[in-house]
Amino acid sequence: MSNAANAAARGRAFTGLAFATPAILFMAVFVAYPVWEAIRLSFVAVDAFTGAEKFVGFRNYQELANAPKLWPVLINTGIWTFWSLIGQFGLGLVAALAINRDIPGMGAIRSILLLPYVVPVIALALFWRWMLDGSFGIVAVSFQDMGLLAPDQSPLALPSGAMWSVILANIWRGFPFVMISYWAALQAIPPEQYEAAQVDGATTMQQFRFVTLPNLWNVTKVLLVLRFIWTVTFFDIIWLITKGGPAGSTEHWPIWIYQETMGFFRFGYGSALAVSLGVMILVVIAIYGLVIRATSGARP
Amino acid sequence: MSTPAISPTASNPLWNRFGSYAVAVALAAFIALPLAWMVISSIKPADQLFSSPPRILADHWTINWYVTVFRDSGAAVFFWNSLVVGLSSTIFCLVIGTLAAYAITRFDFPGKSAFLIAALVTYMFPAIVLFVPIYMILNTLSLIDTRIGLVICHTILTFPFAVWMLKSFFETLPREIDEAAWVDGCSYLGTFIRIVLPLSLPGIFSVAIFVFVLSWNEFLFASIVMTSSDLKTVPVGISEFITSFDIRWGEIMALGTLATVPVVVLFSLVQRYFLRGVLSGAVKG
Repeated sequence: MSNAANAAARGRAFTGLAFATPAILFMAVFVAYPVWEAIRLSFVAVDAFTGAEKFVGFRNYQELANAPKLWPVLINTGIWTFWSLIGQFGLGLVAALAINRDIPGMGAIRSILLLPYVVPVIALALFWRWMLDGSFGIVAVSFQDMGLLAPDQSPLALPSGAMWSVILANIWRGFPFVMISYWAALQAIPPEQYEAAQVDGATTMQQFRFVTLPNLWNVTKVLLVLRFIWTVTFFDIIWLITKGGPAGSTEHWPIWIYQETMGFFRFGYGSALAVSLGVMILVVIAIYGLVIRATSGARP
Repeated sequence: MSTPAISPTASNPLWNRFGSYAVAVALAAFIALPLAWMVISSIKPADQLFSSPPRILADHWTINWYVTVFRDSGAAVFFWNSLVVGLSSTIFCLVIGTLAAYAITRFDFPGKSAFLIAALVTYMFPAIVLFVPIYMILNTLSLIDTRIGLVICHTILTFPFAVWMLKSFFETLPREIDEAAWVDGCSYLGTFIRIVLPLSLPGIFSVAIFVFVLSWNEFLFASIVMTSSDLKTVPVGISEFITSFDIRWGEIMALGTLATVPVVVLFSLVQRYFLRGVLSGAVKG
């Protein structure tokens, strides 16, 4: 009897494995193997024409550590990531609080606010550049009229103007995701918490401070990690709006990787850049995790 | 989407109903105005598109840019390529994804939790870190500049969240249904195809749309895999329009509108599943 049951369990385990096999094979070949390959390639030099590989040890890493553009690119990456996240989380929170009321017309507004999630980045890049066009762009010309820009000048032609333009485009695209996540968290707050606070005589402002905000903390912790990874590594917006220019002023780490590999066909060096980016992200997240753990005990 | 459980006024004392309207409308304008400007610009005649200072509305409208785009440029083929790659990626991703998600929800097999964790890590993994080795693997397999190569890339990007979303849909189906079918002598595969798949069609449909939209919008892999112009997809094809010396804004705004409309329409069909996906943490931004 137990033999038969064992055989049935083995049969089901085998069936489960059979169902999952195509997915497991796919993940092994196109996800696990590339991870290994990225690390391996970062220690070789690949000949652009023959594809021949030569082991060079840590030379790729030495080169990137001494690259003149290392610090400018790191600073650009930091500015891009920090202000994108500030904007996305700030607007996302404000938007979530605003749409969390069932008043007429709010359904339509919510639908509009979700649009950036599906608008192709290429379309975003196109209308951003069109609005910022120095001669005919409606935003650029308005700025020129206000005296903020010289006549016929586009913000994209100025180093700082270009950086703020791509950051604003990224906020446009990213804040609705934060908004929806916060909105879901707002809806999950048990009403009893507000009732208890009211019984204790809390003002509405105190309820916001001591009930609403703490209830958003858990989703914020996770969301910050996800948005951080996806913002640091987000390539499309900058590439399609400025290509890293003018004069490298918007070149962040992913653009650097792309240029070394697809521009100069330096696959070994590009892999070293990619692996370094991955390691830096892991280090930041590890520090973040430690800080969260150390401070979580101190919260009321 | 469940109805709000709390009194909304309690969560937000910062502003009242009218304040909520004002803030929500302002943010909606921030989102909608650039999109509206793209559409308006695509139907303005040249003399009013390129007027200085810019004019908000034209005194007459034209579909000339759309005609030009399809008659005089190779743009139509970009849309065809995006459609083919998008549909192929969707089918491929759903076949291996539904099988895996079904295995995860109904069977215990060795390596199951490792597989789920791997899917979760891949979901967070940024494409830019892996695109060099993936490019070289595709090169070795002679899949550069083929549709199959791009379908593989788009499946890598969409597969992890597809599995997690499908898993959450399959979990809502009671196991008793499967077990009753097995007792009646239906094979495992037969149960899956004839009982489970039809019952979870709404969920599968919404996952399909997410995969398609992501494939349609994807730029990085499409730009490195597709090198010959008759295979380029919409984002790559359009991006090359603006690197030419004269920027033809009328055509470009028409192309931007045409690239945006299909995915917005598709997305509006499954918006409520999207909200559910966010709640279960299975949507990538």
